[in-house]
Amino acid sequence: MKKVALKSGALLLSLALAASTAHAADPAFPKGPTSPVTLEVWSWVPGLDKTVTAFTKQYPNIKIKILNLGGGPATYTKLQTAIKAGSGAPDVAQVEYGFLPAFADTGGLADLSKYGANDYKKYFVPWTWGQVSPDGQAVYAIPQDTGPFAMVYRDDILKKYNIAVPKTWAEYAKAAATVKTKSNGGVKLGNFYSTFAPWFMALAWADGGQFFQRQGDSWVQTLNNSSSKKVLNYWNDLIKKGEVGTLAGFSADYWNAAGAGKLATNMEAAWGPGGYAGSLGTKSAGLWRVAPIPQWTAGSSVKSGNWGGSSNVVTTQSKNPEAATLFALWLNLSSNAITADWNNGGLFPASDAGLALPALAVTSKNPSKFFGGQNISSVYAQASRGVNVNFQWAPWFPFVNDNFSKQMDKMLKGQLTPDQALDAWQAESLAYAKQNGFTVK
Amino acid sequence: MTRNRATPWFFLTPFLLAFVAFFIAPVGYALYLSLFIKKRSGFGPAKNVFGGLENYVRAFQDSDFLHSLLNILLFLVIQVPLMLIVATALALILDSVKSGFAQRFFRTAFYLPYTVPGVIAGLLWGYLYSKNLSPLNQITGLKTDFLSSGILLFSIGNIVTWTWTGYNMITLYAALQNVPTDIYEAARIDGASNWNVTRYVKLPLLRPALTLTGIFSVIGTMQIFSEPFVLRPLGYVPDNITPNTYLYLAVARDGNFGYGAALAIVMALFTFVLSGFFLRNVRGET
Repeated sequence: MKKVALKSGALLLSLALAASTAHAADPAFPKGPTSPVTLEVWSWVPGLDKTVTAFTKQYPNIKIKILNLGGGPATYTKLQTAIKAGSGAPDVAQVEYGFLPAFADTGGLADLSKYGANDYKKYFVPWTWGQVSPDGQAVYAIPQDTGPFAMVYRDDILKKYNIAVPKTWAEYAKAAATVKTKSNGGVKLGNFYSTFAPWFMALAWADGGQFFQRQGDSWVQTLNNSSSKKVLNYWNDLIKKGEVGTLAGFSADYWNAAGAGKLATNMEAAWGPGGYAGSLGTKSAGLWRVAPIPQWTAGSSVKSGNWGGSSNVVTTQSKNPEAATLFALWLNLSSNAITADWNNGGLFPASDAGLALPALAVTSKNPSKFFGGQNISSVYAQASRGVNVNFQWAPWFPFVNDNFSKQMDKMLKGQLTPDQALDAWQAESLAYAKQNGFTVK
Repeated sequence: MTRNRATPWFFLTPFLLAFVAFFIAPVGYALYLSLFIKKRSGFGPAKNVFGGLENYVRAFQDSDFLHSLLNILLFLVIQVPLMLIVATALALILDSVKSGFAQRFFRTAFYLPYTVPGVIAGLLWGYLYSKNLSPLNQITGLKTDFLSSGILLFSIGNIVTWTWTGYNMITLYAALQNVPTDIYEAARIDGASNWNVTRYVKLPLLRPALTLTGIFSVIGTMQIFSEPFVLRPLGYVPDNITPNTYLYLAVARDGNFGYGAALAIVMALFTFVLSGFFLRNVRGET
């Protein structure tokens, strides 16, 4: 760690040498093609074209055509249709981890282990490889960006109520009660995103919760696992006491409360701080900080979960899968590319060396600037190293995602206890998966 | 002779081609798709297997889908009549206004919401429905959650009413403008009061226009989609709030084209039956 950091520091100083030294720090990539090829890339990363210019300089035989479809459901529908139709799919596409299994299941993704991808496993943060290679052999994608969990908090509010940054969930609960009492209920310590299943799952993930597991041709689904029950009971208790809110994420209501000092903390992914800086602007700027998420056991190493993040797949329709694999590897491992993707798009790297990248530690620019000039990336890097490796997603996750909101709505209305809500979530999702032909237990 | 018989067909060809390409073919394809079910064996892509009428049987046993149809019936019983009554009242008032400026101003003002696309209207109202920011909540000091599942249907009904009342009003108003003024004169000579003119002359003459707006409203109600869909990120909106959101998710989220197609066919038949029922009842009163 320290060695890497020192090396990176030297990089920043010697500007003239930066480019050549940066390449020296990169792993040896596969050789480029000897004759010219063109790769079509679907991605929603802002400013990717600038990153690609450096790539084509290094591999003049590869021409890259970028198509920015903006991300979200529409992009997936288009990719799904192209895969189903058997033509029109790009060589490389960006896909979020949670949606990978659904695409792997269509048979439209190339197994990159055939092109030597497994040789690069060691360069990635271990848990990210688990996301793209669930069985440890076939590789469905190259990890791109990640969303490890940390806690954002209002330094001024905690100081005002004389509360130390909570390190455990027990301390967090105590702080929640204190904030409610001292503010006469006007300020809430935290917020529960009741319509974002991956947010909740990241909290259970941090506790070792496992929701899906592929076993050969069949699956095991345990949405109501013990971590899941522990986490939900804990939060429901705070919600019922009125100590944490249930505002919808990214809504006007949420940003208003966060900017007005009515919310003191929230658990957010590594891509979250950019949203705070962007949505709140000057409101409450400089008052925020980032700390590791509270732990269940005091004094243990920081354990975290992940929310969001994406990977680069190569489709079976690609005529140049080797070149496509090379591009996907370069895009996510070369310090040149990950620096550009962080600066232009706020992508928090999945590359192990990337976590110590000098660009991530620049505190004079947003999002760090919004967080009072704190080196927030180092907190997120620590979180990323504490993410459980074995976590998996199932192809029917999109349904599971929507069904979570349904059960949470019932729980918040008091119609179901947290345990009952999780049991219903498990039962309805299991019935759905079976109805759609999956072999699930 | 033969040339004569061919001539109308020759002129009809462009229309027929378009009709077949954009109506008959998609409906036929949907019917064909609806006969296939999604099957999977272990790992790998799902296959579409011929399943006969299985999707239709599933649709009629699917409590989620039936619930979405019930929501629509609720809409038809509450929102549509309310909207048409308000639209009629506005049209009658506008018709009796003497000042040309006021008439033009209000006509435009009432019509304006219709020019806002459904998605934008949803976003706009989404802000107004925010629990802590809603102006209504700020004024009354209440903490109504307009997006909670208890009153969500009414919140959506409000958006739809806001959007479509002006549109319907214009249709009804245009119908009133077409009434020859001598009918009113005759009524006045017979000693009819303002109210009598409205009740016994204007309203009966509005019946065809009301039937038209009614039918359009029934069909429009069946198609409600963008309003609930835009509200989804702001709170919990059930998958089956309307039949259209439910069938969209079956296709776009679950990739079940066969079931989605079957649901669409069932909905088309349902709309057909409902509009027929509506037409018969309206005519029956005459």
